[in-house]
Amino acid sequence: MTAIARMALLDLRTVWPYRYYWFAMFGLGILLFGGKPVWLVPGLVLIFTSQFAPYPFNVADKAGLETLYAVLPVPHRSVLYGRYAWAVAVFLATVAAGTTLAVLLARAESVQFSGRTLLTMLTLSWALFAVNTAIQFPLFIRFGYTRASVLGTTLPFAVIVGTLYKTHLTIASMQSWIALVGVAGVVAIVASAAVATTADRRARAFRRPTPNGPDRF
Amino acid sequence: MNSHLAFALRGVSTAVGNKFALHDVSFELPTGYVMGLMGANGAGKTTIIRCLLGMRQVDSGEIELLGHRVPGPVALRQDIGVVLDHAFLVGDWRLTEVERTLRPFYDRWDGACYRELLDEFGLDLRAKVKDLSRGMSMKLMIAAALSHRARLLVFDEPTSGLDPVTRDELVGIVGDFLIDEGHSVLFSTHIASDLDRIGDYLTLIHDGRIVRTGTKDEVLEAYRVVRGGPDDLNEFVGVQLIGVRRTSAGAQALVRTEEAGLLGGDVVVEAPTLEEIAIHIGARVPRREPDSFMSTGRIA
Amino acid sequence: MRVVLSNSAGMPLYQQVKEQVGTAILSGELAEGTVLPSVRALARDLRISVITTTRAYAELAAEGFIATVPGKGAYVLPLDSALVREQLLREVEAGLQSALDAARRAGLRRDDLIQILDGLIQADQQERTYQ
Repeated sequence: MTAIARMALLDLRTVWPYRYYWFAMFGLGILLFGGKPVWLVPGLVLIFTSQFAPYPFNVADKAGLETLYAVLPVPHRSVLYGRYAWAVAVFLATVAAGTTLAVLLARAESVQFSGRTLLTMLTLSWALFAVNTAIQFPLFIRFGYTRASVLGTTLPFAVIVGTLYKTHLTIASMQSWIALVGVAGVVAIVASAAVATTADRRARAFRRPTPNGPDRF
Repeated sequence: MNSHLAFALRGVSTAVGNKFALHDVSFELPTGYVMGLMGANGAGKTTIIRCLLGMRQVDSGEIELLGHRVPGPVALRQDIGVVLDHAFLVGDWRLTEVERTLRPFYDRWDGACYRELLDEFGLDLRAKVKDLSRGMSMKLMIAAALSHRARLLVFDEPTSGLDPVTRDELVGIVGDFLIDEGHSVLFSTHIASDLDRIGDYLTLIHDGRIVRTGTKDEVLEAYRVVRGGPDDLNEFVGVQLIGVRRTSAGAQALVRTEEAGLLGGDVVVEAPTLEEIAIHIGARVPRREPDSFMSTGRIA
Repeated sequence: MRVVLSNSAGMPLYQQVKEQVGTAILSGELAEGTVLPSVRALARDLRISVITTTRAYAELAAEGFIATVPGKGAYVLPLDSALVREQLLREVEAGLQSALDAARRAGLRRDDLIQILDGLIQADQQERTYQ
């Protein structure tokens, strides 16, 4: 297992005690989007990636896991990229569960998703995940979860939902250009990871003394 | 990697803003021994440890850790166990979860050893990290460090807030750890009695500077405690009185052994305890202006 | 091996260890060839520093009481009569010196001191007769 995979696994274990939260969010997704199965996957992905994927930042900040990361024999880069890998894993899991559910719900309404529709759904989900994570993660890395949490969790969410709402896009209407957005998503993630590396370096250089004084871990 | 030094700091300085956190810090520990790093709160002990472990960059000087220049290869951390006064783990993890979490990172993780140690320390595998008391939490971190076969244990103020029984248990644990002559321990504390008996080497730090370093006997030999009446101990030519404490009952100070001969006859001069050395060296002095850090006046 | 350390002995710990082990060897309690605990095991058991026990063993080795084998530990050497004698002579000298110091403080003269010594020798001989 590479160091990145180990860190992603560590992130999973970090949030494992709070897994009941997943069910709440899943329930919320179904509540909001269950009526329109074609929007279920993008909707769930949006919820999970804006609220849950960053959860390791939250727990790590409160538990002081930064010390653990410094003590474990992993390069610091891996902590960062492992967090991204974790987010991608959350995305994939959400998509897998969400798609299954969406297909079932659609079938209940005697609707079958076309290949095109499915592809658009998935690509849109990817784009949502990418935009969300690309904005959020560098913020959390640079400023820490506690300081950036409000902005970090609500801003991307609001921007995306606002855009979609304002432009009245439908899945069908996206089909032609969605591929472009998908590629843009990949670029966004990669760029974000690069930015995050710099942000991390700055965060560590300017780390303020803890409330207990500069002489504490 | 074989080196006769567990670690060495040479001329290490690091600043926070325009104030020195550490100034020209140099000391080393041969492999197989325990070094006590003593100083008041805020003296720089934690900063030294952070620099030593590569968690904080130094502005000048060099650091050697287990034979490698810091920052060394990441794999070096396989050999190092860090024990702080708090567990840096997720509070909601159970102790079994802790093992499952740490195991993938260490080549030499010994699960049986972990469970045995928890048992010996009286820790319940089903307990959550957040439910552990201070002392139990420290023992958990020790168990984790020993389970991945660390060669160097670094303790940062492990005993503050602990009851005497647990502190005594820690002495036993350190003694057991040192049975292997390839094992070394760095133990930072502001409590002198921790190091009274088991400290092999001592480093005294005050205001970010090393006051004295060497074997415990050397450090104890370097000073004398001077006691006199309330009006004695005003000034002696050629003698620096360290940390003078004056009450209506009497006055007491520390002096360097080589200067003790210059003291007048009316005072009592004795070998100090480690506690007395720590108290007098750590005594608060009026805050100096930043440029005075550049002066060559030794603290003690 | 029985080593009992005292915090208030006024004697450095390494010296206490050295003397107690030395005495045990001289009295035959620790027989020739007995393997002693390693410096580290002893330090662990007595809860003192490794340097302390190392120094105690080093001095015992220098005086010919024990031999240390790197990596194996230490063992008791056969009692050399010259060694024993030398050690005992040193003890006599030390004892007499402290008696002299006390005598000086008490203001005793040489004759008073010799009288006390004779008295002690006599009492000692009587004790031996009754044993």
